[in-house]
Amino acid sequence: MNAPHGSTAAAGERGRAWGPLRREWTKLLFQRRSYLIWGGAVLIPFLIALALYLAKSDPHGGEGPLFLERVTSNGMFVPLAALSALLPFLLPLAAAMVAGYMIAGEAELGTLRIVLLRPTRRGSFILAKWTMAIVYLGVGFALMLVAGLVFGALFFDLKPLVTLSGSTVSVGQGLGLIVLCCLYGLAAMACIVSLALLFSTITDSSLTALIATIVIYIVLQVLIAFSYFDWLRPWVFPNYFLEYVNFFRDPIYWTPILKGLAAFGAWSAGLTFIAYLLFRRKDVLS
Amino acid sequence: MTPDVADAQTSSEREGTRPGQQSCGGRVPILTTHALTKQFGRIRAVDGLDMEVCRGDIFGFLGPNGAGKTTVIRLALGLIHPTSGYAEVCGHRVPGALQAALRHVGGFVDDPTFYPLMSARRNLRLLGSMTGPVSEERIDEVLDIVALRDRADDRVGGFSHGMKQRLGIAQALLHRPELIVLDEPTSGLDPRGMKDVRELIRELGAAGTTVFLSSHLLHEVEQVCTRAIIINKGRVVVQGPVSALRPKDDAIKVLTGDQGRAAETLKSQFGAAGVTEDEGFLIVKADEDAVPEMVRRLVGDGVEVRAVVPAPEQGLEDFFLELTGTDDANRPAPAKRRAGLARLLPGGRR
Repeated sequence: MNAPHGSTAAAGERGRAWGPLRREWTKLLFQRRSYLIWGGAVLIPFLIALALYLAKSDPHGGEGPLFLERVTSNGMFVPLAALSALLPFLLPLAAAMVAGYMIAGEAELGTLRIVLLRPTRRGSFILAKWTMAIVYLGVGFALMLVAGLVFGALFFDLKPLVTLSGSTVSVGQGLGLIVLCCLYGLAAMACIVSLALLFSTITDSSLTALIATIVIYIVLQVLIAFSYFDWLRPWVFPNYFLEYVNFFRDPIYWTPILKGLAAFGAWSAGLTFIAYLLFRRKDVLS
Repeated sequence: MTPDVADAQTSSEREGTRPGQQSCGGRVPILTTHALTKQFGRIRAVDGLDMEVCRGDIFGFLGPNGAGKTTVIRLALGLIHPTSGYAEVCGHRVPGALQAALRHVGGFVDDPTFYPLMSARRNLRLLGSMTGPVSEERIDEVLDIVALRDRADDRVGGFSHGMKQRLGIAQALLHRPELIVLDEPTSGLDPRGMKDVRELIRELGAAGTTVFLSSHLLHEVEQVCTRAIIINKGRVVVQGPVSALRPKDDAIKVLTGDQGRAAETLKSQFGAAGVTEDEGFLIVKADEDAVPEMVRRLVGDGVEVRAVVPAPEQGLEDFFLELTGTDDANRPAPAKRRAGLARLLPGGRR
């Protein structure tokens, strides 16, 4: 047999690199729950826009998710209000569900043993799972953003955006800031994905992985709500979830944003590495 | 009779199939285990197992429930990690060089499972792409082999157990592996399906593919396999050619007018251990060449000879039960079982 031609070999290498991601993406597309979550990402901005349009004026007297009171004056705030509404619970729930299913779900289904009989490295397998969970959530964020802008435009019109510092930025710049907020939210969700993936390697039940992740997340939220645990705040990732509002200061207040990103990176990398170590030695008995 | 493992080993040694015997001779081993051990907590599921499967074998893997068969397969294919020892698959050490080993192996452990919302074809495409490029023609080919071509585009979720078994075999064949590991592939199949799978296994063997067949069906192993191993409690009880696994103890049944006198005469000829009694017959451990002399002596001693017939050959099933001791252990006696059933039946006594 002839040695493979250089370009063919390179294409083969690329194929090998993308192969695991493509397979995980296909699996996600063949799960009904995937579409439910994406549907929710479209529905929430629509409901926010519709409710505020029908109420006409500030319906919460200044309470409710961040940016909510600004929506009626500018449709640009619809995706931001949706992000504020989803980030504390629904997005973590979606992240925990998707990542919690990644390995435990395959074990439950029985496909883990048939997949691992193929020459696939457990390290690249888990990395592909993590990446696809992030990509999946990224699509969810994109849908929420697009739906928010579409419904914002339909109900309230898109106008130049007034920052928290009082300055005004153009629609284009405002859109850039909203995209940055979504990317920050996605980085925050990476922690939840890694935590759920960790539990997913420990248990063979995706529901257990989901519940364990949400319990840990809520415990952390409760802890940082008490002043007694103030010393703990800089070290736990949920403390930084809402720091994306600093993108709307003029100039952008980067310090808390970068601290948040560093915390998300450290937690996500650490948890994923532990998940890898556990999965590498895991006995697949399912 | 339920001899313990030591007795069984003795009988197998008599047949030249000692436990752990390395018997590939001039052929290349394709799957070997070396003192393979797996401990789950306090339970030793596999205990220093030495096994050798030779290239070209259709190798039967037998043992009672809980003998450690599936654990051995999982260890050999890297799904679980050994406590000590290792396996070698196609020249690659497992778990050290697992990926290289798995490139040459196809198969499934336990029931084959698939993504239920995907079609059979998409499942094969997805699983196949994990080993290397796989063409649509090859997918059609393996679907043809297992007679699932007409259901290729149906969701696997709607497949019967037997269809999933066949799809499991199809995915195992995708890359024309050197070694195919099948864990009870005929389970859930109808008689026609079983026959087809056995024929397929024979064809694979004839084409030079090594097949490692784990099965509870002893007659299946007898029909299909060239060599086999019987394990119990994680240890090798016996391994070797299937023909050698069946004990060939020649025995002759004798019926005379005076069994007492006949027994004395025969014991003087064959020794006390060579003559036993079973259901009114005397069972003599001897081959048919000894019959004329035996009859001459009996007649000489004035014993009326009424019948001399060969004793029925012990089947692999009986031999299996004898070796593994699973016919009596932990089972209720037939009388107890009947009494228990009677209580369950309508009008049964309490």
